[in-house]
Amino acid sequence: MIEGIFVEGLIYGIMALGVFFTFRILNFPDLTVDGSFPLGAAVMAACLAGGAGIVWGLSLAVIAGWLAGAVTAVIHNRLKVPHLLAGILTMTMLYSINIRIMGNRANLPLVRTDTLFSMVTGVFPGLDPSWVLLIFFLLLVLLIKLLLDLFFLTDMGLIFGALGNNEQMVVSAGVNPATYKVIGVGISNALVALSGALVAQYQGFADVNLGLGMVVFGLAAVMIGEFLIPSNRIWVLTLRVLLGAILYKAILYLGRYYGYAIHMTPNDLKLISGLLIIAALMLTRRGQKGGKGLFS
Amino acid sequence: MGMRSMRCLLSVLLVMLAGLSFADMRPVRIGISKIVAHPALDALEQGVQDGLRESWPNAVFDLQNANGDLSTAASIAQKFRAQKVDLAVGIATPTSQALVNLLRDQPVIYCAVTDPVDAGLVDSYDQGGDNVTGYSDMTPVAEQIDFLLRVRPMKRLGHIYASGEANAVRLAEIARRVCEARGIEFVESTVANSAEVRQAIQAIIRRVDGVYLSNDNTVFAALPAVSEVCMRHRVPLVTADPSSARNIPVLAAWGFDYYRMGLATGRLAGEVLSGTPTADIPTQYMKDPSDMELLVNLDVAAMLGVEIPADLLEQASILIKNGQVTEVR
Repeated sequence: MIEGIFVEGLIYGIMALGVFFTFRILNFPDLTVDGSFPLGAAVMAACLAGGAGIVWGLSLAVIAGWLAGAVTAVIHNRLKVPHLLAGILTMTMLYSINIRIMGNRANLPLVRTDTLFSMVTGVFPGLDPSWVLLIFFLLLVLLIKLLLDLFFLTDMGLIFGALGNNEQMVVSAGVNPATYKVIGVGISNALVALSGALVAQYQGFADVNLGLGMVVFGLAAVMIGEFLIPSNRIWVLTLRVLLGAILYKAILYLGRYYGYAIHMTPNDLKLISGLLIIAALMLTRRGQKGGKGLFS
Repeated sequence: MGMRSMRCLLSVLLVMLAGLSFADMRPVRIGISKIVAHPALDALEQGVQDGLRESWPNAVFDLQNANGDLSTAASIAQKFRAQKVDLAVGIATPTSQALVNLLRDQPVIYCAVTDPVDAGLVDSYDQGGDNVTGYSDMTPVAEQIDFLLRVRPMKRLGHIYASGEANAVRLAEIARRVCEARGIEFVESTVANSAEVRQAIQAIIRRVDGVYLSNDNTVFAALPAVSEVCMRHRVPLVTADPSSARNIPVLAAWGFDYYRMGLATGRLAGEVLSGTPTADIPTQYMKDPSDMELLVNLDVAAMLGVEIPADLLEQASILIKNGQVTEVR
């Protein structure tokens, strides 16, 4: 069970990193996620079903995710519409596109195909597959986190940080914010689609409805992480997003396991997750501003 | 309670998680993973439990529901794996897929899956997989459409389905083929959610002589809208769900009794627990006429001015006349 929570937390943590990038660094609340997550899953499943293989599947999923984010940014830049509306437009269009990608199907099974998971566990046949997966994803997600950290230290990464803080300052430094938004929202959704591609293989199917509630999960991870560790160093910021994702998954798991003890049904889990985010927000605010919080 | 103590509490939580272990002292433990709470699926879930208790009276059930949230289908499967349930039952396609993908050593019994081969659960219809078998709820599409054709000769049949539901997409494909074989035009309209259903039926109602709905949760949520538009345009409507047809006016509904399907699934699970290898059990169908329900609404027939042939009326198990529901058999 514990390895299951960590594996799920890590895989969804990649998506949470993408959400963190748009919401916290770019200050661009992006709802494309609910569409780009199943987009990654659909591309991956279509590649595996079509025999293109795992590497192609993952690469194309990342590229497709980047494009989806870029479309949202272009709609926002060109048509001067709010971030939320631009994201919702892309998300809506992706529903049809995802069904097309899967060959006019709502659901593509991957139960009987070789996936990244069966490949990784096949390398070490003697060991418990669930722990092999845990080690593998720990390394993979840490690598992604490290690359992100390094990226934020480059000139471009620093400009992204400045863009979220004060757009005017970036403009006066002679940088076009529109270009950066296309790149940034693209990178965020590339991460989200990568997460979707991994989740599809983990679950054994890609489905057009896989993205329901993804933004909420990403935000919950970001906010629980912020509550856990107050910091402003970038490597801590990305680390705490991952910790937040794992902890959020863990709490939902606990609800599933022990909820019956307090007469909770699985239907109540959505309520619990909402209350949890609200609690994390209140506590974090209290920590930052010294204002009245939940337990004062 | 300060920030520091909250952090301590959360850290303790994490440590507690790591220390979880499950003492297995109970008889047989069955995990049931349901995609969403829904009258038909709830009846099915109840049936599975009753069917299993016939042969395993002290079975303990862990009922889980993904609330339509597909990402939790895997969490539920993980939970069943961690708790080492003796057998898992998947209700609907995505939940069954997640169970089959994550549970390697325990048998998985699927039900309410329209096409288990298309869903990748088993390789063929005529034998079970390694640790996988179950019941398909493939509805008798041809019979349902033929019923409509017997009641009123038609050239164009309307069909609405959810493009996001695997079962519905598969059934639409079958309905299309049945129409081709009968030489009638198949007029289809798809929806992404229940709110679009009224629009979808209005878009095609002038171009069809009859409307057919298969098993589709999204569309059935908006059945009153479909029924109302069909009645207003005097177009006969036949569905695959007798339970919703009891209080919403449709000409006829021909489908399963989901509770009975659950019973059959539960009995099958009992056999597997008793040692019957899943590979020897092909995909099961509800074939027995007593498993099927045919509901005919004579009030609607009178309003549409159609005559139901006598032999069809004889097959009916539920009749609605003057607003009264009578169980014929």
